[in-house]
Amino acid sequence: MKLQEKNISENNFEQCIKCTVCTVYCPVVPLNPLYPGPKQAGPDGERLRLKGSDFYDDTLKYCMNCKRCEVACPSNVKIGDIIQHARMEYGRQKPSLRDRVLASTDFMGTMAVPFSPVVNWATSLRPTKAVLDAVMKVDKHREFPNYAKQTFEKWYRKHAEADQDRYLHHLTFFHGCYINYNYPQLGKDFVAVMNALGWGVHLQKGEKCCGVAMISNGLYKKAKKNAQVNVDNFRQSLQENRPVVGCSSTCIFTMRDEYPHVLGIENEEVRNHIDLATRFIYTLLDEGEIQLIFKKDWHRRVAYHTPCHMEKLGWAIYSESLLKLIPGIDFVHLESQCCGIAGTYGFKKENYKVSQGIGAPLFKQIEAAHLDFVSTDCETCKWQIEMSTGVPVKHPVSVLAEALDLEKTYQANNKTR
Amino acid sequence: MENKNEFDVIIIGGGATGAGTARDCAMRGLKVLLLERSDFATGATGRNHGLLHSGARYAVTDPESAAECIKENMILRKVASHCVEENDGLFITLPEDDLAYQSTFITACRKAGINAEAIDPVEARLLEPSVNPDLIGAVRVPDGSVDPFRLTLANLVDAKLHGAVVKTYCEVTSLLMEGNRVTGVEVIDHVRKMKERYHAPVTVNACGIWGHDIAAKIGITVSMFPAKGSLLIFGHRVNSVVLNRCRKPANADILVPGDTICLIGTTSSRVGFDEVDNIRVTPEEVDLLLREGCRLAPELAQVRILRAYAGVRPLVAADNDPSGRNISRGIVLMDHATRDGVEGFMTITGGKLMTYRLMAEWATDLVCKKLQVDQKCRTAEIPLPGSRKVDEKEYRKHFDMKPAKIASTVGRHGDMALNIKSGTPYDDSLVCECENVTVGEVNYAIQELDVHNLTDLRKRTRLGMGTCQGELCACRAAGLLGESMDCSGKAQRELSRFLEERWIGTSPICWGEALREAEYTQWVYGSICDMK
Amino acid sequence: MKFDTIIIGGGLTGLVCAISLQKRGQRCAVISAGQSALHFSSGSFDLLNCLPDGQPVTDPVEAFEALAPEHPYHKLGGMFEEYAERAKELLSDCGIGVEGSPRRNHYRYTPMGSLKPTWLTFSEFGIVQSVDEVPEGKVLVTNFAGFLDFNTKFIADALAARGADCRIAILNVPGVDRLRKSPTEMRASNIARTLESEETFQDFVEVLKKTAVGYDTVILPAVFGLKSEGIVLRLSAELPQKVQLLPTMPPSVPGIRTQMTLRRVFEQLGGVYILGDTVQAAVIEGTHVKTLYTANHVDFPFKADHVVLATGHFFSGGLVSDMDSVREPVFGCDVDFISDRSQWYGESPFADHRYFRFGVATGEDFRARRDGVPYDNLYAAGSVLSGADSRTEGSGAGVSMLTALRVADLILSAENPVA
Repeated sequence: MKLQEKNISENNFEQCIKCTVCTVYCPVVPLNPLYPGPKQAGPDGERLRLKGSDFYDDTLKYCMNCKRCEVACPSNVKIGDIIQHARMEYGRQKPSLRDRVLASTDFMGTMAVPFSPVVNWATSLRPTKAVLDAVMKVDKHREFPNYAKQTFEKWYRKHAEADQDRYLHHLTFFHGCYINYNYPQLGKDFVAVMNALGWGVHLQKGEKCCGVAMISNGLYKKAKKNAQVNVDNFRQSLQENRPVVGCSSTCIFTMRDEYPHVLGIENEEVRNHIDLATRFIYTLLDEGEIQLIFKKDWHRRVAYHTPCHMEKLGWAIYSESLLKLIPGIDFVHLESQCCGIAGTYGFKKENYKVSQGIGAPLFKQIEAAHLDFVSTDCETCKWQIEMSTGVPVKHPVSVLAEALDLEKTYQANNKTR
Repeated sequence: MENKNEFDVIIIGGGATGAGTARDCAMRGLKVLLLERSDFATGATGRNHGLLHSGARYAVTDPESAAECIKENMILRKVASHCVEENDGLFITLPEDDLAYQSTFITACRKAGINAEAIDPVEARLLEPSVNPDLIGAVRVPDGSVDPFRLTLANLVDAKLHGAVVKTYCEVTSLLMEGNRVTGVEVIDHVRKMKERYHAPVTVNACGIWGHDIAAKIGITVSMFPAKGSLLIFGHRVNSVVLNRCRKPANADILVPGDTICLIGTTSSRVGFDEVDNIRVTPEEVDLLLREGCRLAPELAQVRILRAYAGVRPLVAADNDPSGRNISRGIVLMDHATRDGVEGFMTITGGKLMTYRLMAEWATDLVCKKLQVDQKCRTAEIPLPGSRKVDEKEYRKHFDMKPAKIASTVGRHGDMALNIKSGTPYDDSLVCECENVTVGEVNYAIQELDVHNLTDLRKRTRLGMGTCQGELCACRAAGLLGESMDCSGKAQRELSRFLEERWIGTSPICWGEALREAEYTQWVYGSICDMK
Repeated sequence: MKFDTIIIGGGLTGLVCAISLQKRGQRCAVISAGQSALHFSSGSFDLLNCLPDGQPVTDPVEAFEALAPEHPYHKLGGMFEEYAERAKELLSDCGIGVEGSPRRNHYRYTPMGSLKPTWLTFSEFGIVQSVDEVPEGKVLVTNFAGFLDFNTKFIADALAARGADCRIAILNVPGVDRLRKSPTEMRASNIARTLESEETFQDFVEVLKKTAVGYDTVILPAVFGLKSEGIVLRLSAELPQKVQLLPTMPPSVPGIRTQMTLRRVFEQLGGVYILGDTVQAAVIEGTHVKTLYTANHVDFPFKADHVVLATGHFFSGGLVSDMDSVREPVFGCDVDFISDRSQWYGESPFADHRYFRFGVATGEDFRARRDGVPYDNLYAAGSVLSGADSRTEGSGAGVSMLTALRVADLILSAENPVA
């Protein structure tokens, strides 16, 4: 490269020209003035932190890592990554027990599922919530997601696995913690839809939690360990010519972008083969590889909510386009804005008010739209919207499973076999 | 009552030397007047590397200067701790350099009393990851960084605490003579827009390169050698250890980290006296600095540059060396009584920022001798204001702010930071977001530190010295200045001048991100604000 | 994914072009790398304020002829005034209330308190028709406590110098004051966001009502209505005084509102707006741009019959410079510039720097070129174009909107050639 052909800096922190656009789109700033805002916490702070670690400010923990600052930035500064990086590098506070519990979505799931009726019952009780609130600092207003009676993995091994090899195409399904422990139905919907489209769905043996909650709660070592296992698994999949597809926008975003940017885990060779379900399906459709045949009598009024990480990926267009293809859908456009939950952020007592405040304009939009349901690709957005509006939330894949004439679709896509 | 215009000593020049001399004289009980034609640290003091030389650079070519440097280096670490960063330095040998020079260098260093230690190139890379990985040798020396603005300011503050009168924007127009004796000066006070006369039995010419002009006013020739040196400031700290080349001093062979930035310098070229007041960095100099800088730290090739600036070294001409590089950096003290038969007048020049205190000591010794005052110099022992030890807790108590914000303010002002108002949302809100300058700090500078314009303010606070070079903060600061001066018109004119001053430094390096920033700044002030 | 037209750049130029096309039946996508320069609006749209010789312009329609022949205004097919009227109409149709005429510049206030000629100004802003005109009666210049980007003293002193009867008042509104806990976030846009809470807005109105008793005109910083005009309209309704807003230092609340409104309108018309993404590769066959690939969508193709380059000047990344060259980064289009860097700038930051006029070279067809050969379906519009010195001339918004509309027309006439 010739001298000064391009200015380069870590996460582009010095590409910032101090235009302040990021501060306009930070959902936290107006609700929590203790947070220094993306400009100060990000590029401004980074320059000072290079001078000495005493310039690190522990209020960076109020960043939700929604990345809306990055989407808004006209200078391609990786503001969110700078902040996450600083927390990792300079953060002195050890994660609390509460943070560890919230972060360990996979461990908690493994422990809870065998006793799910008891756990679900217990976490819904007022005294339990009071204890969680007072001792653990998990806000008492929160409704805990229920745990399933049986993990998705177990269901899959028992009911689906044997059938998958007979399809023409094959993919690796990254189900994530939510489908596995809390909501296996979405996994089942995914298998049904993909099978109908002519694709066999396979699970990996040692799938690990993507680590997003660990990153946001400061369990970086564990997150890195998980990330490495997953990336190695994906390499294996790639060798078998199987793309990796997941339903959760957050898991997919984390594995594609946070692994290299925040955790420093190299994923270049697999990155572009980690795909989101709706994008994967839409791309097949765009290439004329598959056909979707919808039910004639299915009519719903639906809005799509763009999760923050979906906004960052830029992929809402796939989910929205798929939904709009459904003839019976009355599609309502929602302005893209944060719901306020940001994974485990909103579960924390100190963030509850801010979290609900951030989501309020979105909830208003949803309530005013008189919807049958909201559709979104993120499980934590789902909890937040359901809890705050009472409107049910469904993943686009579940919507497809509902709206497609699966039998006819199956026939159309599995002819050549 | 004593005449307010009568002093024991008048010092002309508000650079480090003049400020140091004012402090020293005042500490020895003299009635001191310091006159500066613009703001302090405007000349070579404010336009150098900010390198706290260990002396190693001069060890081979100028052992006397080297010995002075290391002595002063150790003194400044003690008495000016808030101005100094103890970064250490490396003298690296690259494949194109002669590795044999290293041992000559180390021997010379040790002879001068400089602790120089050859280290393994691998260790050097661990110590300073940005260093050119091709290096074949490295010597570690006790280099550091020194902030010349802080240093000069602290000297002036202390001089005033010891009773000195300091007048900036007071330009000496003539030296008053009685027979063959200088008895005082006539000045134009640019702030009050009036002429004034001051009298003292001794006048010290500490004007750096402009000392030539002052002496010339009474027909004395001080043959100065104006040597222009240009430097580049990069947007952030690339290195944390000073990087030098282990070879004979040459162009662009020092990379110094200082506060939030780092800078590469210098070039060296002779300029005419007619140029010293309007010196600009040329594109050729920028190219040379970059090219050579990349040999020290290759990543500089793609690091954003904030600005370029140049200063004029006040070297005393000795021979016809075209570069001025081989001229001694030694201190020159001229008693014009013995040299030129003019009583009551002396010139202190040559030297360098590193030895300002020693220069001041020499000058003050001579002043005292002339005034028959028998007082010892104490500037090597008594810390400057700002460098007195204060418990961290006291800062925490004073500032109701996040530790990260305190770090900036205390870093700049040391214990003087306790004079800055804090605790209300107004005082603690940031004017300059790049360098963390609060309203409290700005108002403190405006009220207590002789600020007449935004450039003065910048030198005392780093306001406008960050990435955006004043784009966000200049207007806010102008507002605060306007309030204190109760004049919007003047504040806006100062805003315009400040942006012009910043542009002189940004225009030579205005490409890439700097051009984007400039376009934005020019849109904000040129279009939205319609400034002209 | 296939579109009729893909517009690269989602600022004023891109959105005006996209809305104009989408309204007339095209299916468009806008790809925008981050938010646009509208966020730093002055609160006005300039058409032409000043000629190259320094002559101030009162009637842009009459004056624009005097611009250099390579100026984009000379490439509008002789329909300068018509496009100016259409631009204003487009804004109004989108619900953006502006005042002004291309036949007569009025004056807006600057944050310094001075007056500057301009073409269109947001309806809620204080404007005057001549430099002698001052706000009516007793004037109260107000600001929120601790908001450093709006200087009441500058404005009050300037108004007083022009003969206005002026006082300053600082307002403390609890919901807004909360922001001051942060040393940096007392910004125009954040104040606007706090005022979106009904409670805070009501508190503000109460405080202002009490403070403004006895005054005829109240001047406020433009920190109202980030998302919609609603709150701005309510201001005048709630107060007996005449309310005038004045621009703040960036970010610009009315500018952001304009951005949000234009985007919303475009999306309601069925357009696709892709934010935070950059075009990284293009498939070009001969002189025809066929397919675009972006950073976020990697190998997913975006196809279009027409592509518009509305990527802005240096600030927005439409042009990229290094030590001795300027390039257009998406397609490597031909750029007019001078390679000697020392020629780029004037001595003063306020000089009419030559770099202002650097940009993508086109003819009257606004088609971008490569090595002198025009693309057949790639158009350039707005500040990425060469030949305009938007700052010195005061022509930024005009060049953006007028060329955007022109390019939209050219695209449609290419689709339906008149026999």
